[in-house]
Amino acid sequence: MKWITRERPKIDRLACPWLIKRFVDREAVFIYVPVDQVFPLAEIEDAIPFDIAGVEYTHYDDQCTFDYIIRKHKIEDAGVLVMAPIVRGADTDRHDLASQASGLWAISAGLAYNETDDQALLEKGMMLYDVLHSWAKHLQHIKHTQQPSEHQLIEILRRFVQQEKDQQKIPDWVKGLKEIIQDQIDTNLNLKQLSEELDINPSYLSRVFSRYFENRSFGEYVRKQRIDKAIELMQTPSYTLTEIAYLTGFSDHSHFARIFKNETGQNPSSYRKKTVKK
Amino acid sequence: MKWITRERPKIDRIACPWLIKQFVDKDAEFIYVPKELAFAKAAELNAIPYDIPGAEYTHEGEYCTFDYIVKKHRLSDPPILQIATIVRGADTDRFDLAPQAAGLWAISAGLSHNYSNDQEMLEIGIRLYDALYSWAKYVQNEKHNWKPGN
Repeated sequence: MKWITRERPKIDRLACPWLIKRFVDREAVFIYVPVDQVFPLAEIEDAIPFDIAGVEYTHYDDQCTFDYIIRKHKIEDAGVLVMAPIVRGADTDRHDLASQASGLWAISAGLAYNETDDQALLEKGMMLYDVLHSWAKHLQHIKHTQQPSEHQLIEILRRFVQQEKDQQKIPDWVKGLKEIIQDQIDTNLNLKQLSEELDINPSYLSRVFSRYFENRSFGEYVRKQRIDKAIELMQTPSYTLTEIAYLTGFSDHSHFARIFKNETGQNPSSYRKKTVKK
Repeated sequence: MKWITRERPKIDRIACPWLIKQFVDKDAEFIYVPKELAFAKAAELNAIPYDIPGAEYTHEGEYCTFDYIVKKHRLSDPPILQIATIVRGADTDRFDLAPQAAGLWAISAGLSHNYSNDQEMLEIGIRLYDALYSWAKYVQNEKHNWKPGN
């Protein structure tokens, strides 16, 4: 049979031809014409008019033509019954009827915008509804992320890879500088001298230092290292605090005590009493 | 450039090729291979691996590879940003992100079911995203009301 309707189809006038071809009349041919020519040409072509007011195959109340064909031809295919509210929702601007309606509408509206030839559009529509039918029939309960743990695993892996990358980015001189500071903590360290030793521009070194040394400036970092070393030396009871001050690069005991208090909130002798067992 | 990813694409591995061809690399070629071969083939063919854990172009936190391309290549076209949310919703099973996500997922899942040839699916998929783009750019404020006799 020939079927005829208004030109520029969007939803129902593509979904109905699909439904007719797949479930009612395999050989059906579809004609799209300007709205005022539907009835005269239906007569001439002996075609069934559809999805236009005043014919049998059309909307009834809030149901669209797709619904009418299902009812009239007693289609019981499970996939088609799932598709019906999606098509109706997209076709009658009732996107609340099915969660897929908005997406079907967006894609259909875009397809119609991109394809000005109605027959070519029908071809795409056939493919679209075949696809929607496959989903409705076989896949509607399948989720894309099949295991919730999949995402977490991917995230952990991503962090690991990023960490590896970050570590690779640390320049060679950082390790050397760290060792020098550690070895020479008891001397009067200064950044300019160190930069000469490492053959690095001093202002560059000063600028990037904190990036590789716990977010501390050179002065802060050296101070922290000295206090850490002092705390370590306190574990050896035979060292006096004056000796420790000397071994960690402080000019005298009171300088040491002042910096120590700044860093730890306590003076060295009470700190030592609390933490070191006799 | 050549771009390579896991076979049997659904959402991100179709949407990304579309985005790359439209906005990043017009002459891009896309290759789908079994998951375990992706990195070896990438090296052999000098192709960029994408949408696979361990590649630069992949998911980041709750964002999908499509989002990463948008960010990396500083794409700011409003329809693209809108499509990014729809794709993310469909690809990460977060249909609450955009009303169109559930429909895009249904259609994409069905496509993958009906077309077992990944290149053929890509060709159809590209037209699908062309349509989504036209909708987002030109007709999204249009409503579809059935007006009898109209």
